[in-house]
Amino acid sequence: MTSSVQAEHNQSIIIDVQDVSFRYPGAESNSLSEVNLQIKRGDFVAIIGSNGSGKSTLCKCLNGLIPTYYTGDFAGKVVVNGVDTSQASIAELSKHVAYVFQDFENQLVRPTVFDELAFAPLNFGYEDYKERALQALHMLDMAELKQRWIWQLSGGQKHMTALAAAMALDPEIIIVDEPVAQLDPAHAKLIYDKLALLNERHGKTIIVIEHHTEFIADYCKSVVLLDRGGKVRWTRPTQQALSSVAELTELHIQPPQVTQAFAALHADSRSGNGLYPVTIEQAVEQLQPLLAHRGHRPMSEQHQDHDERHTAHLPYQDNGAQLTAHASCLDHDERHQARPLHPSTNESAQRDNQSRAGREPLVHVEAATSGYQSIERNMSPTLKGIDLAIYPGERVALIGNNGAGKSTLLRLIAGIRKPWSGAVTVCGQDTRKVTPEQLSDVVSFIFQNPEEMFIADHIRADIEFFLKARKQSNTEPFIEHILQTFHLTELQQRDGRLLSGGQQRRATLAIGMAMKPTIMLLDEPTASLDIVSRREMTQLFDELQDHVQAIIVATHDMQLVADWATRVIVMHEGTIIMDTTSADVFQHPQLLDKAALVPPQIVQLSHALKLPSAALSVNQFVEQFRDKEEQDGIYQLSAQA
Amino acid sequence: MSLSPLRNRLELTSQQKLMIFILSMSLYGISNMITELLPEFRVGPVELKVEYFIFIPLIFAILFNSLYAAIGASVGEMIFGELLLGQFGGISELEKFIQFSLAVFVAGMLVRDPRNKRQLAVAAYVAIGIDQLLGTIVDIAKVYIGIEDLEAVPGLPQSILAIEGFSFLNAMVVSGTLFALLPTLYLVPRLYGKVEPLLGMKPRDGRAASSIKDFVTPRFIILAIVLAFVAAAAEFLAESDNAFFSWEWEADFGSGAFWISLAISIIVFIAAIAVIRARKKQKPKGESLS
Amino acid sequence: MEYTNSAHKPSFWEKFSVERIKVELLRTAYGQSMTFLSRFDPRIMIAWYSFFAIVPWFIHNKAVLLGLLLAVAVLTYSSKPSVLVLIVLAIGLISDAAYMLIVSLMFGGGLAAAWALSTLTLKLLVITLASIAVFSSMDPERLSDGLLSIGAPAQFSFGVAYGFRMLPILIEEYNNILYSYRLRGKSPDKKGFLGWRMLVYSFKLSVVAFYPLILNTAKRTRTTVEALEIKGFTYAMHDPKVKKLKLSYLKIRRRDIVFLALSALYIAAVFYVGSFFDA
Repeated sequence: MTSSVQAEHNQSIIIDVQDVSFRYPGAESNSLSEVNLQIKRGDFVAIIGSNGSGKSTLCKCLNGLIPTYYTGDFAGKVVVNGVDTSQASIAELSKHVAYVFQDFENQLVRPTVFDELAFAPLNFGYEDYKERALQALHMLDMAELKQRWIWQLSGGQKHMTALAAAMALDPEIIIVDEPVAQLDPAHAKLIYDKLALLNERHGKTIIVIEHHTEFIADYCKSVVLLDRGGKVRWTRPTQQALSSVAELTELHIQPPQVTQAFAALHADSRSGNGLYPVTIEQAVEQLQPLLAHRGHRPMSEQHQDHDERHTAHLPYQDNGAQLTAHASCLDHDERHQARPLHPSTNESAQRDNQSRAGREPLVHVEAATSGYQSIERNMSPTLKGIDLAIYPGERVALIGNNGAGKSTLLRLIAGIRKPWSGAVTVCGQDTRKVTPEQLSDVVSFIFQNPEEMFIADHIRADIEFFLKARKQSNTEPFIEHILQTFHLTELQQRDGRLLSGGQQRRATLAIGMAMKPTIMLLDEPTASLDIVSRREMTQLFDELQDHVQAIIVATHDMQLVADWATRVIVMHEGTIIMDTTSADVFQHPQLLDKAALVPPQIVQLSHALKLPSAALSVNQFVEQFRDKEEQDGIYQLSAQA
Repeated sequence: MSLSPLRNRLELTSQQKLMIFILSMSLYGISNMITELLPEFRVGPVELKVEYFIFIPLIFAILFNSLYAAIGASVGEMIFGELLLGQFGGISELEKFIQFSLAVFVAGMLVRDPRNKRQLAVAAYVAIGIDQLLGTIVDIAKVYIGIEDLEAVPGLPQSILAIEGFSFLNAMVVSGTLFALLPTLYLVPRLYGKVEPLLGMKPRDGRAASSIKDFVTPRFIILAIVLAFVAAAAEFLAESDNAFFSWEWEADFGSGAFWISLAISIIVFIAAIAVIRARKKQKPKGESLS
Repeated sequence: MEYTNSAHKPSFWEKFSVERIKVELLRTAYGQSMTFLSRFDPRIMIAWYSFFAIVPWFIHNKAVLLGLLLAVAVLTYSSKPSVLVLIVLAIGLISDAAYMLIVSLMFGGGLAAAWALSTLTLKLLVITLASIAVFSSMDPERLSDGLLSIGAPAQFSFGVAYGFRMLPILIEEYNNILYSYRLRGKSPDKKGFLGWRMLVYSFKLSVVAFYPLILNTAKRTRTTVEALEIKGFTYAMHDPKVKKLKLSYLKIRRRDIVFLALSALYIAAVFYVGSFFDA
């Protein structure tokens, strides 16, 4: 997985960008200004930069969409694999460059996977178009998807299909625009593994646009930093690039948590060449001698022991369930050994019951079963007899892999789906007896896709919609207040669809807030957001807490769970397998692994370091580490490496 | 593919035409599928059902390019509404295709300024009118061809005319108002200037697109159709009256009138497309979609 | 979009279910097993169908029509159409004929009108059953390839594939938009006479929900067309070589010829027998 920076010699230049400037028609400033960039054959490059730094524009220059498809002021020259892009058609260039769009779903135009893969080679009139499609299928190890319908695929599988379809023309260069933004972490990792495969086994040159530096650290060989206005600031090898913590932070790019932690802990922990660790492996490598020095057993032994311990205690664990090589699994403090499931939930349930004694639940789900009709017209339940009570003041995170039933549960509570059996009571109302319109007086439901919530002419009208439909008067000050809270005053006359991802999410939160709900439901509110917008969302959630009695969030974002949630419900295959606190949930790596969830890097690191309890943020980590330092004597971090 | 700067609706690149085609196809197709699922009330010949969301292609025909919006919608109906549901009707799809494309195309061409409510209203009724009219003609023709010596059968010719006439009026008034007029008046002004940037186009300039030729041709087409219909109906009545009294065996000359009227409308449709294409001949690119 | 079991009466909105449509779509597309007719080349089937769609109009001999009906009825049965389609067809044909008959009675029609109408109904039955027999069992992609080979434009066959791709997504999105309106809107307090207020409310929603859908789809379409450009579709559309390559799997085999020959024999026999019953 680690792609150590190999000093490869004799590399030829595969992409040569010379003095390229570009301005979109009607735009006021250049999207790219005199960009000069050379990329070597076989490289794995990340392009980073803040919003508006021209990352996507640069990539569209590489596949010829600029200047052939998008007209505009173009200057300079781009040579890709020996072809001058201004002299070749877009179709011709796609034999050299594969491009996976950020909204990759819309680049899939055929009904089945194989059909999609064969489409481009067929259009190029290759006699052997079927063989080419098969070859791409095998190149990405996805033969099992061959006959599947595209719309049945998960997001990650669709992304893989888009990639494979582009690979069917066997191009030398692959460009992927923000894979992590649109996928949950487990799928994002899958895509990166495939890219690494293409890079290492097939020698392809890979370029990714990426915000998530932890992925860059794990996979990329070098990093190109773009400045605002479309200028290249530098190109550096990955570790050197990500160690520039101050510079990146200033540009709103968050370095890996490990790197941040090391930077915060000890400026002098830099090894001789001025580098911080950027991956957990590197961090552990630096710290391992230190741990050994404290008399712990060797890690490999602990690992095995740990494994057995879990399988023994967790009856629901599949036999042969694999432990991934996450650092989180490397070690576990004795205090945090995973408790058997049932005692754990019972314990927490008892504890919760005491604190909730005498209070009425806001939401009461009793033995609810619900689901969909399958192709064979059978009923296939996605929720199987769920029991759940949500109380005022709770911040609940629903986590679990795709298909675990999170969305179904939210829809049951919102009343837009009724239970097949069992009952759902929301603020005393049985959802089967009221319409969603009536229920919306107490519940507001924020969809996963913001664009499905923009139903009015502009976002102010969207925010007012609920109050106007109820003919409430004198709403002006309230609406103004909402607009201000969510920083939308400037944008209020814009259509939601034309806003950036972060702005769209803020707008949907504002829409939800303007309904003055008792309960707020959010489906993946931080999906496809960059890190700055994510942090902003977490802050806004705190804002919500003052007005809303309970918030339930379905999410894959473990950072959000760590930062915000007070109660975490882990779902798996339509049942609740754990109901606990956010501090506790990360003490159960097997469970998280089963639910295809990846804890935040800092949690993984604190497990590896045996901190008394898993740190949920970099600051916590630093504090705890310092405490431990005082207890155990001085850690000579600087002595390492 | 080189782009020339595009400023009004008759000068779109082939990619933009493809966009309009796909847009019209998917959305009208989906609406067609939805209307298939909606309930239907039928009291005798009086039907109260969600006829069809003709406003969808009409909006695209008004805002972008009439021809591609019209053809896209017809293809969408054929694919989503029939083929994917296993209800492909063979040759009857072809007649629906011609009727509907012609109706949307002509109505779309009539609108010179998307902000002008009166033009929008006229377009809405023209669209549904042409579609229903041609449908009525085809229906009558079918009965006429299908029944040997229709005029010889007492009561039948009149009843067919009565039923078809009633359902035509019903469709004009109910569907025309609910599914063409109201949605068009509501949606076109809202979408104008807003949907174009999403497609990477500039809104069409109301005045730039209007020249005398632009609206004389469609008007001429409508007139031709109406005249053809009136002529056919008149002849039909004359024939049937004649047959009603004479009970003659060989009096089937009247079917000719229906073939003629059908032929006329098809010719007019082809001519209309030819006119549009001829006008675009100045631009060598962008013929890829038809 | 929600499926509901019999435990509670599904409302109008619940009947309109994404899952139901997805299920229907899949069943239509790949659900059908191999039927007798789906074995033949789509072009042969289109030709075969064309005969049954056009010729009956010009036959006024009831015996011949009955003979043709027998053949298409057997073939329709062999292609296992959905019961729903057949019921809809039956209701349509019967009610149309009934209206005409009733109205013709008002204009002084009688038995003669009924006799004449029965011929018409017979013809319509033959034609409609022929289309059901052929098209309901044919894989839409094969059908579109068949049409492509007889000159339908490439956009049509692209549209069929694209329809398969987009349909579930569009329905889902439309459905979610409807919920957006419902979750923020307000249904009428009173239902009104025969629930007309609810009816108006539902109608209004179903129309206005297209506003966001149009905008969302427009945004989506832009990427799609860029992708089509990259995948070379806009060039291939006019390349006869690509068309040939795509259709190269279509082959007229001996069984196609045999089927056509048998059909011709049968039709000739029907006409011959029919000539004895010249009614």
